[in-house]
Formats: sequence, C-alpha cells, structure tokens
Amino acid sequence: MELNSYQQEAFNYQRPNIEKFSKSNLLWIVFFLLWIMVGGYALYLQIAHGHIVTGMRDNVVWGLFIVNFIFFIGLSYAGAIISGLLHLFKVPWGKPIIRLSQMMTITSVIVGPIFILLCVGRFDRLHHLFIYPRLQSPMTWDVLAILTYFVGSGLFLYISLIKDFAVYRDTKMNVPKWKQKLYTALALGYRGTASQKRHLIISQNLLAIIIIPLSIMVSSILSWIFGMTLRPGWHSTIFGPYFVLGALYSGCGVLIVAMWAYRKMYKLQNYFTDKLFVNLGYCMMVLAAAYGYFTFSEYFTSWFGSAKWDADVINKLFSLQEYGWWTLFANLFGILVPIAIVAIPATRKVNWITLASFAMVMALWVKRYLIIVPTLETPALPMQDTRMEYVKYTATWPEWALTFAGIASFLLLFTLISKLVTVVPVSELEEPLHQHNHHLEPVVVNQEAIQTV
Amino acid sequence: MKAFTTQAASALKLRSAIIYAGLMMLLFIPVNIFAQADSTKKEAPAAEAAVAEEVPSLIGPSLNFITVQKANNSIDLKAAMQAKVKGTFYRLSLLKVSFVLVTETGDIPLGFVITDQYGKAVLNVKADSLKTNAEGKLNFKAIFAGNKGMEPTEEEVSIKRAHLEITPVKEDSLLTVQMKLTDLGTGAETPVPETTVGIFVARLINPLKVGEGTTDADGAASVEIPNNLPGDAKGNITLIARLDENEIYGNIEASIVQPWGLKVSDKLTALPRALWSPHPPLWMVITFSILMAVVWGHYIVIVVQLFRLRKEEPHTAITTKA
Repeated sequence: MELNSYQQEAFNYQRPNIEKFSKSNLLWIVFFLLWIMVGGYALYLQIAHGHIVTGMRDNVVWGLFIVNFIFFIGLSYAGAIISGLLHLFKVPWGKPIIRLSQMMTITSVIVGPIFILLCVGRFDRLHHLFIYPRLQSPMTWDVLAILTYFVGSGLFLYISLIKDFAVYRDTKMNVPKWKQKLYTALALGYRGTASQKRHLIISQNLLAIIIIPLSIMVSSILSWIFGMTLRPGWHSTIFGPYFVLGALYSGCGVLIVAMWAYRKMYKLQNYFTDKLFVNLGYCMMVLAAAYGYFTFSEYFTSWFGSAKWDADVINKLFSLQEYGWWTLFANLFGILVPIAIVAIPATRKVNWITLASFAMVMALWVKRYLIIVPTLETPALPMQDTRMEYVKYTATWPEWALTFAGIASFLLLFTLISKLVTVVPVSELEEPLHQHNHHLEPVVVNQEAIQTV
Repeated sequence: MKAFTTQAASALKLRSAIIYAGLMMLLFIPVNIFAQADSTKKEAPAAEAAVAEEVPSLIGPSLNFITVQKANNSIDLKAAMQAKVKGTFYRLSLLKVSFVLVTETGDIPLGFVITDQYGKAVLNVKADSLKTNAEGKLNFKAIFAGNKGMEPTEEEVSIKRAHLEITPVKEDSLLTVQMKLTDLGTGAETPVPETTVGIFVARLINPLKVGEGTTDADGAASVEIPNNLPGDAKGNITLIARLDENEIYGNIEASIVQPWGLKVSDKLTALPRALWSPHPPLWMVITFSILMAVVWGHYIVIVVQLFRLRKEEPHTAITTKA
C-alpha cells in the first residue's frame, strides 16, 4: 500500500498514538469504567425495583433517558451527514475530520439506543418489537430506522478505514500480534490495484450518497415520535427539519470539541488547523442562525395561537419560576453566543470557538430536556394523582448515574477507537495548497517514531 | 522547534495528577442529592410486621348472594366471592360454593359451582320441585367451606315465589309492554300491587333502562317503549322487565324479543384510520417497503463490492515505504 510523502509523514506522526498505551490512557479507561460500573449498579437497582427508582411517573413517562437518547442519536446523524458531505463534495480542508465525524457517528449510535432500552419497563418483551411490529407506529419506524442506520454507519466507517488498515498491515508496527492480525483481516487484502480501488470508490460513493438521506429520514422519524403525538409543544409540522437541524448543529459542536481535545492530546495542530476550526466555526454560525430561526418560529407560532395547551407549555417555558432560566440558557448559549463568538474577529480563535461549541452542546442538551419534560408535565386530561412527584419530574440519582455512565461509554469508545486507528485518516489525506499557517508554531514530529521507521 | 524541558514535563505531570484526582473525587460525589422522596413507598412499623410474621392470618372473604326468579319458573342462585387484601378488593376465582335449600326438616343440598375468573358462581334450579316453608317462602343458603388460606363463610336468602309476565302491545306507532306481577307463595296466583318494575333493553355489556311502571291492584303495569332503539340486523331488540332487590321476592325478571328496533347491519365495515387499526394504510406499506429495499439494496451491493475486493487481492504484495 503506497503513500505519498505527505500521507507518510501524517502516518509516521500519528503512529505512536496507536502503538503506545500510556499510563494516562489506562487511567482514563479505568475512570470511564468506574463511571460505567456506577451506572451498572443504578441499572441493577432499576431492574430489581422497577422504574420507581427513577423520577418517571404516570404523567411524565420520559425523562433524562430519552433526553440522552435524542442527544446521542442526534450526534450520530450529524457525524454521518458531515462525513458524507465532506466525502461527496471532496472538500479539501475537510479530509482530516472525516474520521473523527465517523467515529462520532458510530460511538453515539451505539450509546444512544441503550438509553431507549433503559426506558423500557419490560425487557422480557423487547423481542415483541420485532415479532409483533405495528408498521403504523412511529416506535416501529424508529426501531427499524435506527437498526438500518447502525448498519449503514458501521459500513461507512469500515469502508473508509480499509485503505488505512492496509497501511497498518504493511507497516511493521510495534503492536501486539492480535492487533496486527486484526489489521490484516480488516484490510480485506487491499493492495491498491486499479480494480480494488474501483470497488472501494463505488462502495464509498454509494454509502455517502445513501447515508445523507438516510440520516435525514432517521432523524425525522425520531422527531415524529413526538411530532405524531397530539401534545402541546410536540405536534408540530416543523419538528422533522427542526430535529435534523438540531442534530447537525449539536454534532458540529461536539466535532469541534473533539478536534480540540485530540489536537491537545495528540498534538495534531498540523491537521486540525486553526483554519479548520474557523471553517467549522462558520458552519456552526450558519447552523446557529438557522436553528434560532426555527426556534423562534416554533415559539412564536405557539404563543400567537394562544391555544390553551400550547399557551400552558409556553408559559412554563418562559416563567422564571418554572423553566425560564433554562430556556434563557438554552437560547443564549445555544444560539446567540456561538453566533457572536464566530462573528467577532477578535474571538474567532480556536479556544473561543471550542468554548462556544462546548456551551452550545450543553445548551442543546438542555433544549432537548425542555422539549420533553414541560410538555409531559402539561397533560391534556386532568391528572388523576396530584402528588408533586407525579405532577413535576425530578431526575433521581440512578438516572443521573446512568446518564454519566452513557457519557463515559461514549468517551471510552472514542478512546478505544483512537487507540486502534489514526484519528486523522492517512491514505485519504491531501496536502493543503497553503501549508504555511501564521497561527501555528512548528510542531515537533515525534522523533522516536521516525527512528523506528 | 519547541523543546520540552524537564521542569515543564514535571509541571505537566503535576497538572495531570491534579486533574485525575479531581475527576476521581467527582466520581464519589453523593449524587443522591438529586434523589427525590418516593411517596409510593410505605414502610410498615417494625412491631406490626413482626406480629404479622408470627401469626399468619387467614383471609376473610365476603360472599354476596342473590336470587333471580325467571319467567320459566326457574331460579338463578348467584354468589360472588371477593376479599379485601391490603386495601384492595380481589375477586376470588376457583373456589367451591355450595347451595342448599333450608327447610324445617334440614338442609337439602342443591349442588355446587366453582367460581369463575370474576369470582361468580351461578346455579339454576327448577322452582316447582322446591318445597316452601309454612310462610310460603324458599330459604336458600350459599356456603363456602373455607380452605388453607381463607376462612369459611356463608350467606342466606329468603324469598317468596312470584311470577313476572311481560306482553308486547303495538297500537299504530305506539309501542308498549304490559307487565303483570303475581305472587305464587300461597299456591294461588295473587296480584302484587304498588310495586315498581323496570323495563330494560339488552345492550352489549349491561341492560339499558328505558322506563318503569308501578303495578295497579291487578298487579299490572304498562310502559311505553321508544321507537328509535338500535336493534340487530333484523331490528330485533330484547326487552327485559325486572324487579330489583325486592324485600319479599328478591330479583325477578322476564324478557321478550320484539322487532321494534332500528335495523343495524352487523356486516363488518372498513374501520376509519386510527391508531388501533389492525393494518397500516397501503401507501405506508408501499413507501416503507420501497425505502427499506433501496437502503438495504445499497448495503447488499456494497457488501458484494467488498467481497470482490477481497477476492482480487494480488499475490505479490506492494509494501509501504515505512
């Protein structure tokens, strides 16, 4: 498997990251595993005692779990759309982030559905979804769509990795035997012949073409779980595109944060350049503006109509005694702050953009909470049981523990994948036209790695 | 080139150690500060629980026993078993309820019935063969003998024999039913005056009351029937005359079927689109199938391409420069 000098340099530079397993890596993994264990204990409590250990009751039947489900699945769709678009349009500056967005896709599509399973009261009847499906139910659409999407995103990641696997296979790397064998098996005998290249290009293009509409469809289907329900704040024609846009937007934010983290950890300034951050910052700004427009349209239409149920939810969202502060946080940091930070040249810097992205991701998580909980706290029929925990949802510690366990799983999977493959794709990398970057200091290429070559 | 000094490296290590320590502490934050009180959980006082464990108490079931005298001179003996356990009523199924006729000379067993899933047991007896007491009354008793978990219980009912007759009368467009209530306790037929008898029409689950009439000195009463009651496909409706929970006679009922209702077709009609519809709309099935076929078709083509790629591996490997 031949590489040009730029690709070879990129490989040599990243090679130690997949060859070495440092103590700090181990500590991170142990830390994540500890969190997952705490989540496991919370899950045990939930299975042993039932959903009474959560804050979910007759009226508010969905809580943190479904918020996390939407959040992670949204990230997944965003990763697929971003990587699909970058591949199809052959955006030169986007090559280094394709792998990262695909990693985000696959990790979040693994973690996200786990949260929906946590909402299921009867695990023993889970298979009924497949043996007694109701095609007219959005739940069935969602189950089938996510399964289909999972296969597609897994294939997409794998196919884009085949060339790199061939590089790892053909290099005598300092890795355990099982890992070398794994690379050999996953490379599928790819040697870069004209015919093999053709097969790979056909597969990649087909998947990139199918994954974009598939992500949009699946994201819309997710929104229809809410949109098809006659509830205030949910039953809205805008919900499909609103969810697609929200997913893309939050995914863009997570991608920027992930880039920043890997840039710091693996010293990838030459690949995750300032220019790349600014370009993604512009994308984020445009998405923020569009998301703001959708949000305004959604709130304004409900408020102006003054239908009783809609007005009840809107009042809850904007009342400072209820969800007003959260609404302010979600819209300030979810819409206005990212736009301002990217728009002002003085703050259009890597750290500022990352900070805005991080705040935006938090704000969009809160936004998902605001979509679900206030609506469920406003039932169409009078409540039968007016105990406070039935009227108002409060998440319990098992729910928080499982939430953090989900985040830990997401980060753990990210860590493990980045120990298996290079974060910046090697074989697909193209040398930028303007290599010189004024913002960058020269980076020390890992001398040890060069010596081993 | 930016070289790392030993000092910088130690500072970096120290910083990492502080971050790890902070994160580990975060792990042990008592997250139950978010927990809410569970009002559904009721803890019994320890002493009471201990007593409850020492003496396993039997469930005390209640037996509800009524009789219904039918127009064909038979009597339905109806018993219902239930029990209140921890504040909730449970219908007791699969229990043996025996029915006896109580006479001056002793109890005459009539038979037994096992309660159904609703805790009910019904025994139909021919009234003509039953012996009345000196007052012309029939005394019935329903007995549950008890079992390992339940205490025994019984209930007695005393009724006088009576007969309720229902006759349809149609005059032009006016529909009426005439009822006659007769006492049979003394052997002779004696009219029962000033007693209110209800008229019901049979519906799917419970009869619907459409009127009531009070008997005159001849024991007769007349009630007008509405002419717009939905019937079956032929317009038949079942009219039921019923005397409910009378102190002397218990329950008595008689019924007739008349073509006085509106004809309602019993043919299956297409259901309107609804969440509970048995089948999804055709367009949905077609759209869904096409979408899934397109996506999975792509996957299949891609997997085939990968198999071809694997097959076309050249024997002479081209090695990398690394």
